[in-house]
Amino acid sequence: MTPNLDTIILGHNQFFGVAHLSSEKGAQRDQYFSDVKNVIRMIEFSQSLGVSGLMMSTHPRAEAICDLIKKSKLRDEISIYPLLPYIAKYVRQANEKGLTNMVMDALSGASAMQKIGMMLKGGAGLLTKDVFKMMEILIELELLLFKGLKMRAIFLHQALTDLALGLDLKDVFLFYHEFIPKKFGAEAAYCTFNTPMLLEKFKVYGIENPIVMAPFNKAGFQMTRTLPENEKCLRENDLRLVAMSSLAGGYLKPREAYEYLFSNPKIESVVVGASSEAHAKETFETIRSFKKA
Amino acid sequence: MNIGVIGFGKMGMLHAGIVNGLKGHKTVSISENSDFIGSSLKALMPHIKVYSDYVSMLDNEKLDAVFITTPVHMHVDMAIEAIRRKIPFFVEKPMALSASDSKRLVDELDKTPTLNMVGYMMRYISTFKKAKKIIASNALGDIITFNYSLYVSQLFKPGKGWRYDKTKSGGGLMMGPTSHVVDLMSWFFGPTHGVNASALGYYSKTTEDFIHAIFHMKSGVKGWLDSSWSVRGHRLVESRFEVHGSRGMLILTDDYVKVCMDEATDNLKAGWTSWTKPELHEEVELDIGGPQYTLEDVDFLEHVKRGEKIECDVYSAHEVQKIITAIYESAEEKGAFKVVNS
Repeated sequence: MTPNLDTIILGHNQFFGVAHLSSEKGAQRDQYFSDVKNVIRMIEFSQSLGVSGLMMSTHPRAEAICDLIKKSKLRDEISIYPLLPYIAKYVRQANEKGLTNMVMDALSGASAMQKIGMMLKGGAGLLTKDVFKMMEILIELELLLFKGLKMRAIFLHQALTDLALGLDLKDVFLFYHEFIPKKFGAEAAYCTFNTPMLLEKFKVYGIENPIVMAPFNKAGFQMTRTLPENEKCLRENDLRLVAMSSLAGGYLKPREAYEYLFSNPKIESVVVGASSEAHAKETFETIRSFKKA
Repeated sequence: MNIGVIGFGKMGMLHAGIVNGLKGHKTVSISENSDFIGSSLKALMPHIKVYSDYVSMLDNEKLDAVFITTPVHMHVDMAIEAIRRKIPFFVEKPMALSASDSKRLVDELDKTPTLNMVGYMMRYISTFKKAKKIIASNALGDIITFNYSLYVSQLFKPGKGWRYDKTKSGGGLMMGPTSHVVDLMSWFFGPTHGVNASALGYYSKTTEDFIHAIFHMKSGVKGWLDSSWSVRGHRLVESRFEVHGSRGMLILTDDYVKVCMDEATDNLKAGWTSWTKPELHEEVELDIGGPQYTLEDVDFLEHVKRGEKIECDVYSAHEVQKIITAIYESAEEKGAFKVVNS
């Protein structure tokens, strides 16, 4: 039996200026947390309250955060849950230079890619094994900044998971599911807005009891299909849910939100934001009052 | 329905994924002229047929509809090929390089009517739909003026791809995210009579990174637009839209709609009322890049299935192109008033 994930995982959105309900609020937080010392202070404070899980995307700011963590005693105390990759960076790059240039530039640091790069310039296509090799290299490059830190589970970003689900890319999921534990000793995990669809597809692909990070809230915010259908999914499938957007982007009050969340089965963890110490303390206490150990 | 996708860039993969994930529909073929992307697709999607030439795809596949998601300069010719085969098509925004380019498509469509849609997806964002309803209800009284700002932190050095090559994109910022605003203004307030505009390129040498424009609507309403893709602090494309009426005002962002009324009406109380995104949440079957894209694609496919005309089509997008052309002409002539050609 694989050990459970941290019950509470501190989310990274506030550190990177993301606020789903308000771009204005996001920008304000972005300003405060652009001083990385404020980020570390928040992680230390959470850790002192027993919250040792930290979600971290490969945002440009993540490198400075990870460097500071590596230099502090937090290094041995917290578990990182990478979210792969920081998608806004790639969307911007795709807008800026097109998809092919974006991939080529991302790979440019990797010597193993030289051969493929030359082949491409020669106009030849890629073989299946080249495509998977390329994905391995992209993942390794993206995760480089976490080297030396304890990684429990590595989440594939929602946009990629959901795109691959839509396109029914079975081989990509099978590749990821095998590669992550083998290479990084962490569990392969998936962030999605489409939990019912993911579970249907994974059954066909033969991926059992997946770790799924997905929005789960009474308002149905960011969720697909109906709420009863999602609730039924939790009752009838084997999965380990890491709930996110539990407060529906701030729309729901914490007590009603967490009471509802933990009335459902299979909720192994919850990812929470914390914009201030007081906010963090209150959130953790509320969750613990509803989540039975 | 069986769907084909021409051009597998960012938008192509999004639509291909959405359509393929919807019950009752399948992405059966993709046409992509880059060897790198085409061969990767063949490796990863044995269940989808990959073509390097879109004409062969249109000829060989029995498609119920096709999505055209290539760089802008290819849109019109590709759509014309679809029309000649009577295949319903969805073309990404902006539809064409210029008003004269989009006119070719309008002429072809006049000869051979074919169901079509243009991808101005912001009409499908929940907060925008709500704002549209409020404005259309006349609750705000006489519309006096509006202002719209759209910003994104996207470009801080010369761009590399086709989006920054005028011959392929038709322009800069105005042909990118800001074309949505022109579509929205028409959707909210009807036809535009004329414009004054100013454009500034800083990072882009041949196109614009900043746009200011004054809209003179045929209804007499005047409003202004301010937009840039080269301002800091906007991780995503962010809109703020204000409408001032004789009885109240409306503020719209991607996150909320707020209305402030002087007095209560049938549906609105006096003072402030607001609606946030979670409150306006609509159920969708799947979500890849935001529910608005799913809603847009479902609307297109449903209309095609029923054989019904779609509101956001080549004709409405041609009006958008004419306004954008007038904006460019005005900017060229230091903001001189330019009438939108009828």
